[in-house]
Amino acid sequence: MSRVTLEAVGKSYGAVTVLKPLDLDIADGEFLVLLGPSGCGKSTTMRMIAGLEAITTGTLRFDGRDVTALHPRDRNVAMVFQNYALYPHMTVADNIGYPLKVARVGRAERLAQIEAAAKKVDLTPYLARYPRDLSGGQRQRVALARALVRSPGVFLLDEPLSNLDAKLRVAMRAEIKHLQRSLGVTMIYVTHDQIEAMTLADRVVLLNDGVIQQVGTPDEIYDNPGNLFVAGFIGSPPMNFVEGLGAGGRFAGPGVTDLPCPGTGKLTLGFRAEDTAIADTGRFSGTVYEVEPTGEATYVVLQMGPHRVNLRCDKKFRPDLGTTLRFDLGAGQALFFDTATGQRVR
Amino acid sequence: MNRGILYSRLLTFLFWIAMSALTLLPVWWMFLVSVRTRADLFGKPSFLLDVQAMTWENYAAVLSNPTFQKYMTNSLIVATSNAVLVSVLALLAAYAMSRFALVGKDNLFFWVLTNRMAPPAVFLLPLFLMFTGLRLGDWSLFDTRIGLILLYCVFNLPFAFWLLQGIVDAIPKELDEAAYVDGASTFTVLTTVIFPLARPGLAVTGILTWVFAWNEYLFASTLTSVEARTITTGLAEFVTVTGTNWGQLAAVAMLTLAPAALVLALVQRHIVAGLTFGAVKG
Ligand SMILES: Nc1ncnc2c1ncn2[C@@H]1O[C@H](COP(=O)(O)OP(=O)(O)OP(=O)(O)O)[C@@H](O)[C@H]1O
Ligand SMILES: [Mg+2]
Repeated sequence: MSRVTLEAVGKSYGAVTVLKPLDLDIADGEFLVLLGPSGCGKSTTMRMIAGLEAITTGTLRFDGRDVTALHPRDRNVAMVFQNYALYPHMTVADNIGYPLKVARVGRAERLAQIEAAAKKVDLTPYLARYPRDLSGGQRQRVALARALVRSPGVFLLDEPLSNLDAKLRVAMRAEIKHLQRSLGVTMIYVTHDQIEAMTLADRVVLLNDGVIQQVGTPDEIYDNPGNLFVAGFIGSPPMNFVEGLGAGGRFAGPGVTDLPCPGTGKLTLGFRAEDTAIADTGRFSGTVYEVEPTGEATYVVLQMGPHRVNLRCDKKFRPDLGTTLRFDLGAGQALFFDTATGQRVR
Repeated sequence: MNRGILYSRLLTFLFWIAMSALTLLPVWWMFLVSVRTRADLFGKPSFLLDVQAMTWENYAAVLSNPTFQKYMTNSLIVATSNAVLVSVLALLAAYAMSRFALVGKDNLFFWVLTNRMAPPAVFLLPLFLMFTGLRLGDWSLFDTRIGLILLYCVFNLPFAFWLLQGIVDAIPKELDEAAYVDGASTFTVLTTVIFPLARPGLAVTGILTWVFAWNEYLFASTLTSVEARTITTGLAEFVTVTGTNWGQLAAVAMLTLAPAALVLALVQRHIVAGLTFGAVKG
């Protein structure tokens, strides 16, 4: 078990900086998810922690010990690769037992540990097979078992579920979370899927363009986004935005008047679809652009000036297209961002 | 339409029959010579095997000849050592080239290949001088098996390197990385991951270099005299020693052919796998 500390850790390839120096303290036994769009530097961060990528600047510590220059084999981390990276010429048992074999664990001891690891991920009937004869989900489990088998200090998983179909993904998600809980290990998990991040994480680190946008629990990130990027990235449908002007503590924009707000100048109002309530006396108005029933609710797309916003309404609600709807938000459900910088204004 | 296919099939068939005959007839002829007595040889030529008159005495004579035994042993040692050495060195070079950022990588690769471009005969004289001139006391590379083995490395390495580079490149880099994270050293990665996965390619490399060393004539005949002489070069000389005994000459030729054919037959399966290796990676 390990606490992982990144102190101003950054990465550049020649003149290209792909990761700005970032600070992060990952507690022992924490489930941390690195989330962000493609190419934002998630894999790079993880590979630096594993030692597969040299750290350009900064210091990496495991339990306070400086491991910045340590070879991957000396870091006692386990990694699950996106394509699993199973050794194709070895059976499932040999794949799982490889870290033990390399560490010169005796045969009997090794077999016992392989059995135990395979059991944890329900692989016992497949131990004699080769990876090519397994399904995607089974391969994924082999990769997990190989990581589990030698009780590493840190678990690293790089998009471990992205090659699975939707149903299996949901099932494996729960298994991974359960495994992490029951073993109490430090787990760092990379994904670009925000649902995965929200469901799994103790804490989420949201990255964009090699810069940390926000670090927090899933609830914090969802309820209190620090900037427009976070607000727009998290949530499905994403947060609604309406651009307008703030003056004298009041916000005015298309379809919005007389809304109390902090700050002045060009502001962007943000609110979530599920926080809205249809009300004839509401302070917000727009015309119905489209109606999208999903079964459990009906989403109404409203046109407010140049913006389209989503409202989550009762599943029976079916307004006519083109009619004007009024709605309102509860206290604290309207968030404001500086339009120019994207930063939250509180 | 049907008839067209039939004709084209027939034509293809006849073509390959002709090709096979062209390549196999000399071998067959040699075999016929090797199993005839001296007296029979100068009788009426025939492509048919006369089973009654067949004799193995040429083979018996050759196999019990100490000179033949020595040359055969030399050839086996030189060809096998060369194949093993070249395969190991080329695999290491290919791995380094494939996985590490080396300065001037592309130029280096091209330079290695250019080493193979000049006709080997060009190097004959300088090599002869080197082999005889470089001395450690009484010892020089001239007429030693180690000299031939090293020399054949020079000629075989570029090709082997080129072939294995493609094979190693096709092994996903994540496998190395997974092994490193699992606690393996570079050497362990090479022996437990790269080597087994490159085995089809290594089989191809091994057989081709083996055959090259086995058949090489020019250098073997100039850079050896008695001790390290190989069977390919010894062939002609061997016969002048015992008089022009065509039957025994043919027997030696057949025996020289045999190991090469045997090795090829054994690894043929791997060669096919090696040539299609890129398609089945992962
Ligand atoms: N060798 C390299 N030289 C230059 N830039 C590189 C190199 N390797 C990666 N990059 C860049 O680093 C950035 C981060 O890459 P990284 O693989 O960490 O992204 P990611 O967040 O994992 O994306 P994805 O979700 O697509 O896997 C990318 O913009 C990529 O182009
Ligand atoms: Mg990635």
